[in-house]
Amino acid sequence: MANSLEARLTSLRDTRVWRSIFRSGSGATNLRRALAVQQNVFLHLASVKVRKRSLAFRVTWFLGTLTLGAFLILVLTGIPLMLYYHPSVPQAYADMNDLRFVVSAGVFLRNLHRWSAHAMVLLVFAHMFKVFYRGAYRPPREFNWVIGVVLLLITLFLSYTGYLLPWDQLAFWAITVGSNLISAVPVFGARIRFLLLGGHTVNANALLRFYVLHCVILPLAAVTFVAIHFWRIRKDGGIYSGESKRHE
Amino acid sequence: MSLGGKIAAARRLLFGDSARTFGTLSVVLLALLAVVPAKDYFREWRTYQKGYLRLVSKRSDATSLARRFEPGVQQVWLPELGVVDRCATCHVALKESSLADVKTQPFRPHPSIPHNLSDFGCAFCHRGQGAATTVEEAHRSTKSWEEPILPARYLESSCGQCHLDRPAGTPLLNQGRDTLAQYGCVRCHTIKTLGGVTLAGTDDPPSLAHIAEKTSREWIAAWLKNPQAYAASATMPNFQLPDEDIRDISAFLMAQSTPYRAGTAAETAPAAAAADAAAQQEGASLYGESFCASCHATQNAAGTLVGGTLGPELTRVGSKVKTAWLADWLRNPKVYDPETKMPHYRLDSKQIGLLLGFLGGKTDSDFLGNRHFDAAPKAEIEHGQKLVIERGCAACHDINGVKKPDDFAPELTLVGSRPLAKILFAPGVPETLPDYIAAKIRQPRSFGNALKMPQYTLAPQQVDGLVTALLAQTEGAQTVPARLRVAARRPSDYHAAGKAGQLIEDMSCFSCHTINGRGGDMAPELTWEGTSVQRAWLVNFLKNPNTLRPALIRRMPKFNVTDAEASTLADYIMTVYQTPAFDRDALDGAHFTAADGERGKELFYGKYACQSCHIVDPNQDKGYIGPTLTQVGVRLNAAWIFHWLKNAQSLRPGTLEPVWNMSDDDARAIAAFLMAQKTAPRAEAARK
Amino acid sequence: MSEHKDFAAAMDSDSRKTPVRVAFVTRRTSPHVKRQDDDYVMTFPEALFRGVVAVEVLALVLVVLALFWNASLEQLADPMQTPNPAKAPWYFLGLQELLHYFPPVVAGVLIPTLVVMALIVIPYFRINIEAEGLWTRNRAGRLRILAVVIAVFVVFLIVFDVFAVLIPSLLVAGLMFYSATNPAAPGRFHRWLASKPLSFWIMSWFLLEAGVLTLIGTFFRGPGWSFVMPWSGQI
Repeated sequence: MANSLEARLTSLRDTRVWRSIFRSGSGATNLRRALAVQQNVFLHLASVKVRKRSLAFRVTWFLGTLTLGAFLILVLTGIPLMLYYHPSVPQAYADMNDLRFVVSAGVFLRNLHRWSAHAMVLLVFAHMFKVFYRGAYRPPREFNWVIGVVLLLITLFLSYTGYLLPWDQLAFWAITVGSNLISAVPVFGARIRFLLLGGHTVNANALLRFYVLHCVILPLAAVTFVAIHFWRIRKDGGIYSGESKRHE
Repeated sequence: MSLGGKIAAARRLLFGDSARTFGTLSVVLLALLAVVPAKDYFREWRTYQKGYLRLVSKRSDATSLARRFEPGVQQVWLPELGVVDRCATCHVALKESSLADVKTQPFRPHPSIPHNLSDFGCAFCHRGQGAATTVEEAHRSTKSWEEPILPARYLESSCGQCHLDRPAGTPLLNQGRDTLAQYGCVRCHTIKTLGGVTLAGTDDPPSLAHIAEKTSREWIAAWLKNPQAYAASATMPNFQLPDEDIRDISAFLMAQSTPYRAGTAAETAPAAAAADAAAQQEGASLYGESFCASCHATQNAAGTLVGGTLGPELTRVGSKVKTAWLADWLRNPKVYDPETKMPHYRLDSKQIGLLLGFLGGKTDSDFLGNRHFDAAPKAEIEHGQKLVIERGCAACHDINGVKKPDDFAPELTLVGSRPLAKILFAPGVPETLPDYIAAKIRQPRSFGNALKMPQYTLAPQQVDGLVTALLAQTEGAQTVPARLRVAARRPSDYHAAGKAGQLIEDMSCFSCHTINGRGGDMAPELTWEGTSVQRAWLVNFLKNPNTLRPALIRRMPKFNVTDAEASTLADYIMTVYQTPAFDRDALDGAHFTAADGERGKELFYGKYACQSCHIVDPNQDKGYIGPTLTQVGVRLNAAWIFHWLKNAQSLRPGTLEPVWNMSDDDARAIAAFLMAQKTAPRAEAARK
Repeated sequence: MSEHKDFAAAMDSDSRKTPVRVAFVTRRTSPHVKRQDDDYVMTFPEALFRGVVAVEVLALVLVVLALFWNASLEQLADPMQTPNPAKAPWYFLGLQELLHYFPPVVAGVLIPTLVVMALIVIPYFRINIEAEGLWTRNRAGRLRILAVVIAVFVVFLIVFDVFAVLIPSLLVAGLMFYSATNPAAPGRFHRWLASKPLSFWIMSWFLLEAGVLTLIGTFFRGPGWSFVMPWSGQI
């Protein structure tokens, strides 16, 4: 039965429609496998072959992959959440209540988005420390480490801007506490804070700015830098898996 | 195959390589995701809606009930009020009056109220979280919604968010608001009601500017120690002061007092009548004839208060006031306090002496105890002044040298929305707002001995009333749209003009009578008195008020007015207090014929059975509810009687007289019959 | 000593005239493979499936979380009513904890800026790239520098009363001194510690501090940023 399933899958892969979508075709050849990666817009950032050792769990703990996974879940849950959300005061909070009490699976969507956000921040930090302790920042990967630091900051800012959106007491005061810190920046502090909040206090303007940052600007920045990050992994010689073995 | 082998085989099948692991995990993930719609399907409110359908299916009117039932989330959305209430999602039968016998929640129908449920939603009155569709979030205090459902006993407070007009259906709220005004709460706490109107005190805290003339330092001390020991009905709270503070405050109060007859010598006080039994008896009967008890209460032997509440309780007045002051006060209270509600009785020296003897005998040796103060040193007086300022005495009383403090206590305008986070609960008090307010009123010092709020003596029902009135002070009440507000009747500051006006003030007519919206409700309204009565009767009545309603204890006292005063008053009343509705002289009593009177008599005793409430013939009629009509032909105008019979409510709204809708003929006939009643009853004649 | 050359090197850009040489092979440099590259596998399916499986495990965990633990929602924001304590998101609570000890310009601006800059420059320092054990060279001199640095730092922290930073710092310093010792028979742990470079020590110290401060800020700070126990219900 397993064989007949495989046979059917193979014949499916040989249909005209399938071939028109996935050019790689069928057959258990390395060429097809290489084409599957190379000809896919999403996968082509990766190299066709990877070092076998770099796939071992202890090398990366899959922390980079997991961070990407958390980001994908956040995008997938964030888009339907946007359908129910108005970035205005106090409607934003009423929308939270609607999600909880009226919208089908609204609670689940919000829960998943929030837990994934916390998970992503944790995973980004973990990824960074793992990379450091393995020494994977060393040349030629030094610039990719810098990109990673930028991605860490983007992630924190994404989480921080998302924190305000429910417009509850927790959100409001967390952002107030955080944004007050900016005022401590010498000379420009008050101006930077004004630019970020669109006012002198956390108010409706701040909510709108945070919404646009959270849903448009920062995700675009994140996607851009993630692409560069992945591209650089490939260009810098693949995932660092320790020194190559000495020839005995 | 062994168990271990089976497990190993299963592992190979499910997780043998990454493709298998991927497949297995995908199936598990999909299965978990399938829990999401399942959870949605088993939401609380769906369970209740299914329960409702089960409930109605057993009833005779099941079809129509089921047809009216609407499945899904039900909500009332009123943007103007900020209402999004989904209570009807579970409380599905709110409007099904045929389910009145159902006692299980959430299926009980709403009791009938004067409002349409869809106009206000639910949470506006019941509080709680209207938008929630879970039992926990909707009813209880949670992290996301602090205010739980309002306990039913305080429900009237919600009416107070719009109503300032004392609706008949909210006795507790009205009583609470009265207590706020009567017990001086609003003199320290600012309480703004809807529309920004500040609640004003209706108590009359006495000025202390001349207190040394009125009473002794010993009495002040005993009073401060426990006001209720002097008068059970005293509204002054107990400040729970230590004895040294009482000593110093009383020293300061005596020191700041100034003579109230600055420059003019007091008239020689008449000696109190001899303290023999006969004089006491005579004093007591003068006290009774003057209807002092209409306003002043005394404790009887059983300890119950008997008498009115307009003036202070007099049970122990002999231990309080100085004789010279009391004589002066009885002669003309307006000299000491121009604003007093007490009328100027125009008593002669003999009468004053009798009352002095009677009132002076009302002492209580236990009350003052063995207090005795010597002249106070300056330090004590100064300390006393400091204490008076600290305790906010001047918020209620006028005191020389102490300014009335502004906002002495926290403003309570929004106390009904006070966040729990801003409240420090005393140990043992349940952490809800109503419980906090009640505890604070009952035992203010349980929240800390340093607090200034004094201890009140209140009945449990008064506390409930106060809590209800205070819970009405919500943020929602401040933002209620103007069209929903029902304002209080504005207090009138009507004053009668000229000489008659002075007399009316002097005799404090407004303490009992209402004229043009101002005054008390102890006696009949006089706004249109000039239309209703005949001048001759009025003059006579002012000089010697006899009773109109024998069933009442409170009657018009005799003010000993002179002929000239009576005439001035009568002229003013007959000229000014006229209804615009009809002409007083339109129906001339002289034109009534005997036949009219006979027909009127038949109607009076037959068709309309007026004798059930009124007395025309004291030998056979037994009506005590309405005024006695034996002399009504001397007292009232024919036109007034005619229109009164047609529609009494239009002349005096709220009167007990039914609206008869009499024909003109009937009204005319009965008026003719009544205008013929001019004989003084025999009993009265005999007494004179 | 000069050697006799029997060939000459020349530069020419015309590849047809002059063949490209990749290496000069002399008598003394014979070809020798020092390192060999690893085995490679196809990205599809080996790497891809592993990645997808990892993400699926994460998704499973998150979906279970989302199904059974609700994200908190507090009351509607009210600018007039400040909660006590008002806390930033958890990942900033370490900074907020520092704010308790230092002025805002230090805790809120200087320290985070320095941290970010330090992270960026890590791969550009030779010492980090060589990753040589801290004590392999100039042990006495380095020990002296370390002792001075730690003494100054400890005094500074005591003056500012920053025990939340002091205690983990002392722990790390203790381990550093321990790794500098030279026991007769070093254990595995000692050998492992002794092989660590300076960057390892700094990063570990940073990680420990960040963790401790974040934990204190999250679980041990109550009204007025006072120290409370997590179970006191005041957070």
